[in-house]
Amino acid sequence: MSSPRRAFSAAFPSDCWYALARSGDVDQEPLGLRALGLPVVLFRAADGSAVALEDRCAHRAYPLSAGVVVDGGLRCGLCGFVYDADGQCVSVPTQPRVPFGAKVASYPVQERDGLVWVWLGEPGRARLARVPELPWLDDEAWAGVGGSSVVAAGYLLLHENFADVTQVPFVAPEIAPSVIAVAPPLDVVVTETTVTLRREFAPAPLPAWQADLLGAGDAAFETLQEGYFLSPAAWVDRWDVTGADGTTARLRFTHLVTPLDEGLSQLHWQVDRDFAVGDDGADDLMLEMFGDYYDRVLVAMETAQEVLDVDGPGPEVNVAADVAALKVREIVLAMLATESPAVITTRRARL
Amino acid sequence: MTGTKTTVREYEGDMLVEAADVVAEDVVALTLVDPDGDPLPAWTPGAHVDLIMEGGLVRQYSLCSSPGDSRTIRLGILRAPESRGGSAYVHEKLSVGSVVRVRGPRNHFPLVASPRYIFIGGGIGITPILPMVAEAEASGADWHLYYGGRARSSMGFVDELAQYGGKVTLVPQDEVGMLDLATVLGDPRDDTLVYVCGPEGLLSAVEAKCGADWPAGALHLERFAAKEIEAPAEGERSFELELAASGVTLTVPPDKSIFDVILDAGISVLGSCHEGICGTCEQIVLEGEVDHRDSVLSASERAANDAMMVCVSRCTSDRLVLDL
Repeated sequence: MSSPRRAFSAAFPSDCWYALARSGDVDQEPLGLRALGLPVVLFRAADGSAVALEDRCAHRAYPLSAGVVVDGGLRCGLCGFVYDADGQCVSVPTQPRVPFGAKVASYPVQERDGLVWVWLGEPGRARLARVPELPWLDDEAWAGVGGSSVVAAGYLLLHENFADVTQVPFVAPEIAPSVIAVAPPLDVVVTETTVTLRREFAPAPLPAWQADLLGAGDAAFETLQEGYFLSPAAWVDRWDVTGADGTTARLRFTHLVTPLDEGLSQLHWQVDRDFAVGDDGADDLMLEMFGDYYDRVLVAMETAQEVLDVDGPGPEVNVAADVAALKVREIVLAMLATESPAVITTRRARL
Repeated sequence: MTGTKTTVREYEGDMLVEAADVVAEDVVALTLVDPDGDPLPAWTPGAHVDLIMEGGLVRQYSLCSSPGDSRTIRLGILRAPESRGGSAYVHEKLSVGSVVRVRGPRNHFPLVASPRYIFIGGGIGITPILPMVAEAEASGADWHLYYGGRARSSMGFVDELAQYGGKVTLVPQDEVGMLDLATVLGDPRDDTLVYVCGPEGLLSAVEAKCGADWPAGALHLERFAAKEIEAPAEGERSFELELAASGVTLTVPPDKSIFDVILDAGISVLGSCHEGICGTCEQIVLEGEVDHRDSVLSASERAANDAMMVCVSRCTSDRLVLDL
């Protein structure tokens, strides 16, 4: 049975830039993937620019990602049709004239901060929306570790998890600031399209892993924690610790979320730090620790999705700290409502 | 673990006036930037911000730049003849290099996707319409803008609208008279949305014209009557509360919340923050006019009047019926 609530959580905004791949993963070898329920192929054209096309040859049902990049575009591995960066077929092997209408969809692309952002919505509106600015992802002053997973959970469940800072100490007590016993006030700031949450922890010793990397021992640090819902495609956490001498060590947790299909999401995560840069041991430690953390989070999200799928949405008890997650839902619902009025469900229908 | 105190508020920040251009008689266009050059909050067509001026004066102005521009926002501000200080302050005190406090953006006038639009801008009401026509154009929709004003010299942004050629009809009143709404709107169509912003006379005329004939939901208009969530000056009033499922009728006195009245009657009701922010105590409304005071419901959800947060919201009618 499909309740309105379920319909809402499964629907995803199309008019949004999504980070479909890391720049390094897009090269002469075509990369096929699904996003927003569409087949997409990414490749790098001869001039070095990243291109996103519909991953299905106009001639017969065959993925273009099974083809090869040639001068002038991407050639189908089955029939040899060649498509340029605009998705226009420019040559076919069997006749001199390109058949009328031989064209596949081409999607606007922006490459920034080491990511390939693709616009799968109404193409004309792409220039009216912004790609989130995430400069630390591709900056030598920062060292990063990261990973990618496909999760059998809706993208909103992921955002709601990121919005709930109170979950971290329960999912991973060894990672969170050690001062959780006195949870500081949570300040939530909203705009039309974003949600920010912020809290400041009084000076306290760092978690063991971070104290080791900074050689800080038992010294007390102030911690500033901020989370940003930037768009349905990006959630960023900032975690800055400042010692008594005023020096600050910074961490950035970047979560790039893409709905792949109903109930299936892609998560690219990266943890960047501006300390212990160039320290391979630190990379290994952080990759292991945060890789394990995100594995645990994603398993929990898949379990939550399973409960929703099997038993349907039920009443939820929210606490005041959930306001950030509720604001995220509200923003996404407003995006869906402007894209497709039919999706508008009244508050009552969603209760 | 002690409880986490949560506060929720709208974004607020100082912005620098980068340009203040007179774009028509008594109309100034302010271009605002972040003082540190940081990106400004994202917004969509129809959004507005609060300008918080000296002495705590707060006024709402629509954004009339491109949502794709992360560095600047632009506001178009008419010096109102009957100004109570807001627009006079902007015109007299703000110039290049001034700093002004901005809150928001928020959007109670969103542009819903549609194959066809009729836009009507009256006077300074053109401002929210400017990014709307840009978006309609970008998405390949079929659209037309009727822009009415007292005189050509009083109508700002005409140069920018020239790029759309015949899709824009200028209607200066001293040359061609008032907008003829019968012609502008034409016959009702179910593939068309109507967006109008302007003086009250224009809004109510369009409402009257669309009301009976056009499909529900076709007309979108904006009044600058931002809802202040404050207790009424005349004090809180008492009202009758019927809980339909429980079959009881109670009285909510001025000094007690609906939530507490329900609880005191021994009826189970979920509640959590008691500040109107968590959404836990949401209840379905069957009858009665809700006075929404929460931070959970969106503008359209408030308007639907079918759900409410009983911890802080009240009722403006004499009787409220909940499905509880």
